[in-house]
Amino acid sequence: MSWRVGTTHRSHYRYGTRALSSYNELRMTPKASERQRVLESELLLEPAAAVFTYRDYWGTVVQSFDVQVPHEALEVVARSVVETSAPAPLPEDGPDWSALRDEDVADRFAELLVPTAYAPFNPNLAGLARGAAEGATPAEAVRRIGELVRSHLRYEAGTTAVTTSALQAWAQGSGVCQDFAHLTVALLRQVGIPARYTSGYLHPKKAAVVGERVSAASHAWVEAWLGRWWPLDPTNGDPVGERHVTVAHGRDYSDVAPFIGIYQGGALLELEVEVVLERLA
Amino acid sequence: MEPVTDLFARYEVGPVWDEMFLESGAARQVASDLHATLRSLSSQDLEDRCAERDRSFRDRGVTFSLAGEERPFPLDPVPRLVSAQEWSVIERGVAQRVRALEAFLADIYGRGQVFADRVVPRRVVATARHFHRAAAGIAPANGVRIHVAGIDLVRDEKGEFRVLEDNVRIPSGVSYVMENRRTMGRIFPELFASHRVRPVADYPAQLLSALEAASPRGRSGAPRVVVLTPGVHNSAYFEHTFLARQMGVELVEGRDLVCRDNVLFMLTTAGEERVDVVYRRVDDDFLDPVQFRSNSILGCAGLVNAARAGNVTIANAVGNGVADDKLVYTYVPALIEYYLGEQPVLPNVATYRLEEPDTLAEVLERIDQLVLKPVDGSGGYGLVIGPHATDEELVTLAAAVKASPRSWIAQEVVGLSTVPTKVGGNLEPRHVDLRPFAVNDGRTVWVVPGGLTRVALPKGSLVVNSSQGGGSKDTWVLADPQSEAPEPATSAPEPILSHSSHPFDAGPQVGPGASNGQEQQQQQARTC
Amino acid sequence: MLSRIAESLFWMGRYLERADATARLLDVQIHQLLEDVNSDEAAASRVLLSVMGIPAPAENLSLARATAVLAFDRTQPSSIVSSLSAARENARGIREALASELWECLNATHVGLAQRTLTTKALGPHAFFRFARFVKDRVAIATGIVEGTMSRDHGFQFLVLGRSLERADMLARLLAVRTSLPSSTSAWFTTLRCCSAHEAFLRVHRGAVERERVLEFLLLDRLFPRSAWSALATAEQCLAVLDEDHGRRGSSDAATRALGRARAELEYRTLEEILQSLPRMLAGIERTCSEVGGAVAARYFHEGVAHAWRTERLQLVEEGGA
Repeated sequence: MSWRVGTTHRSHYRYGTRALSSYNELRMTPKASERQRVLESELLLEPAAAVFTYRDYWGTVVQSFDVQVPHEALEVVARSVVETSAPAPLPEDGPDWSALRDEDVADRFAELLVPTAYAPFNPNLAGLARGAAEGATPAEAVRRIGELVRSHLRYEAGTTAVTTSALQAWAQGSGVCQDFAHLTVALLRQVGIPARYTSGYLHPKKAAVVGERVSAASHAWVEAWLGRWWPLDPTNGDPVGERHVTVAHGRDYSDVAPFIGIYQGGALLELEVEVVLERLA
Repeated sequence: MEPVTDLFARYEVGPVWDEMFLESGAARQVASDLHATLRSLSSQDLEDRCAERDRSFRDRGVTFSLAGEERPFPLDPVPRLVSAQEWSVIERGVAQRVRALEAFLADIYGRGQVFADRVVPRRVVATARHFHRAAAGIAPANGVRIHVAGIDLVRDEKGEFRVLEDNVRIPSGVSYVMENRRTMGRIFPELFASHRVRPVADYPAQLLSALEAASPRGRSGAPRVVVLTPGVHNSAYFEHTFLARQMGVELVEGRDLVCRDNVLFMLTTAGEERVDVVYRRVDDDFLDPVQFRSNSILGCAGLVNAARAGNVTIANAVGNGVADDKLVYTYVPALIEYYLGEQPVLPNVATYRLEEPDTLAEVLERIDQLVLKPVDGSGGYGLVIGPHATDEELVTLAAAVKASPRSWIAQEVVGLSTVPTKVGGNLEPRHVDLRPFAVNDGRTVWVVPGGLTRVALPKGSLVVNSSQGGGSKDTWVLADPQSEAPEPATSAPEPILSHSSHPFDAGPQVGPGASNGQEQQQQQARTC
Repeated sequence: MLSRIAESLFWMGRYLERADATARLLDVQIHQLLEDVNSDEAAASRVLLSVMGIPAPAENLSLARATAVLAFDRTQPSSIVSSLSAARENARGIREALASELWECLNATHVGLAQRTLTTKALGPHAFFRFARFVKDRVAIATGIVEGTMSRDHGFQFLVLGRSLERADMLARLLAVRTSLPSSTSAWFTTLRCCSAHEAFLRVHRGAVERERVLEFLLLDRLFPRSAWSALATAEQCLAVLDEDHGRRGSSDAATRALGRARAELEYRTLEEILQSLPRMLAGIERTCSEVGGAVAARYFHEGVAHAWRTERLQLVEEGGA
């Protein structure tokens, strides 16, 4: 079974004094994959600007543009229509640890096995991760580590910031999906399972009605390498499937930030972000 | 009168390769004329010539900024000689290295075949600090990423040149190669008469030609090249102004540039003018605040995507630093074989990778006998020479290495060759290295015949970097004695006209006694 | 040429002229006060400050105080030390575009200035003439290097344009203050000396130092290079060289129009008419200089490109639908 989902991601920036110019990069276009087909995707900008599109190192579609007219506000609306489905189930026997420790695998995913600023290594975390993995197959370890994260972090918006690392979230015991994902990739990597941070959108309703527009938000989850990439959503523990629209993968948030940019002008007065999802079929 | 052998009185050849003397104490053939000339000089002669040198540098403002202080560039008055035969090895070896590193950079920022073929582990590249993922997918117009390279060489105990490190980011020092040569012409004109020294003055023309060849609009489109400097406070600012002036192109700062819709312009009084090639002397990290440090004002916002869109060429390319990584360096001989199917012309210095636990243990065991270098450093910063370090330094070092083996390499101490160097009123042996400069225009890799020879001034010291207070020497590549004609100098010096026979024009006589003065002046003019 | 370099040259020209003019002004006024026992020190000091557009303090106004402000105050952008240091700063950023002698001259001036400031402050106003001579000499050397070594390219035009605008502006300020005060032969003679015009004036008019003749000379003389007419005409010539698309339908360049109007105001009026509307005329010259500065900046210097980047674009990924 698959869903057809329409996504609308609207960002509105208002400046204290007029911005004279700005340079921006967006990572908001859903990614084509085995479980996801991208049917449509468009970008609306106000003020208007020419958009330059390229694929970055991670294969993510990047849309870059610069605005050279003085402007009080910048509005970016990214819309797309995708068809999503659940990933094919993992084979029962999955890879064993020796397959993961294989030199080729370790080298192929070298950058997804090392700590990052957002997902640092730590002896305590390593101990926890090893405990979770003990006696388990890699696939089982992935599931247990997801549970481990969920048991240690309480979902609470506003307790962390965009710059919070997994370690800080761990220390305070709470965070949002970004922190759940960072902590999960850090733990997976510490037991030698290649893991990547994944950004996208999540439809909040399991039994979504076709045609209903639902307010949602950006979301983040994780993919672990188990002979192929296997997604898991540590924030809610639900299986990744039709409700998840994948946009980008990377080592951590910094590789997939939906909107980066710089501008000249007054301080940011207001930022409104709105994500609306609609099940179309 | 002082004895003429005075200058070499204190010259003691050590256990290393001395470039002037054989073990027997006789002068090597390549240096015999130089030796004879130097022997005929008194230390006063040498002092006089050094005074001339200082005047020359001061007049022309050839300075180097060290710890915020502008100093005249330190040039030793004795040139270093390289025979035609030795040079042909260096020339081939440097060009070969540049070609291999070009292929490597194109590969790792593209398909990554080198990983698939297991020549270099992906891990080595993916964990290199200067591997910039933002550079992935940028295809330079003529395929060149290394427009300029500075390959550091040392000469070992057997007289063989070895590569110490590669510099393909923004190697500096070439202006001193040219300035040193000009100054040597003033202080030792007779040596140029007795030696056929290959000229280095072609460099700016070669560089400009290579930069124009890299223009996305092709060479025919009258490409506009600029030199991008971080500004007057940069230690290499002299070189930036020198190169811009010699190439006849604009020297710009970040604030002179603006990107609009991925096209680069410079702000001029005639409006915005499109720029095709940026020879940038600004580090990657500061080059584009959109991609790198967002608070940088030294670069230009949008520059990287302008290059990605194929509207401007950044020279050298973004992300080249990965090829300078000292751990990548250990793979370069393998890369030469892999990409070029050739044997390395210039060997590396024996180097150990520390990620293998056994090697690490061995290195820690004899850390006091080895040289340890941070993999992402340049300019000698962070380097520790085991035999010269204190116990305390070694303990700190061992801890740092253990904590992060990927960040270090270990090398055997190379007994760098020595050359006669003025120390006080004498000539004494001092250790040197050599940085030849190569320019790649996409068709050929041209190596300027010469290079920056750096001298470790303290006795026994092996640290030659000018950023560490070293000196320099003019490097003379001698023309092949077999070759028929000396190579044509690109700019033959104009003969200096003898004094004009016209008397000076003089104004009307004014004031008493003026007529005598005028007659005298005219007489003087006639006697000229 | 690069806008940044053009702008720096323009301001180098302005600051050098400003330092020079201020030094002359102070030198002459101080000298006159020291010579004339009957003069009113406070009033003269007030005149000095008002020429430079600096509000005078209500009390305790002395020559020493005015000198401290106009010559040595680094917080006062139009003081001599500030002007010279600004000239040097402008030169420093464009060293590669200047003759090295010029940079060395400005740098040496900067170095020498610190020592002389100390000495002059210690010795008091009567030693100011030494300081003034130093400043005038250094500016003269710099000007000589410019005239003798600089190609007559656009860079040169920007530098001379800056210098000429500043000269016209300083003269207009000086005359505006002077004409608002009671007239006397000695005051007009002082005015001439402030503009280094007394000798040139005397050669033309002998000893007849009268208000009308002095004003005529300083405003209209075609041959004297420091007259308002000469300064405006020189600035106009610079703009004509810079403005490559001035065509047959008159000028589309705002700066050229403003300058042309101001020059014509002087050129095509009788002296009588000028003297009748003198305050308006002088204010007009000051306004013109400022307008021209603005128009030149807008056209050639790409003003308003600040270079502070802000990053507040990181969006927090929120809500997991937990």
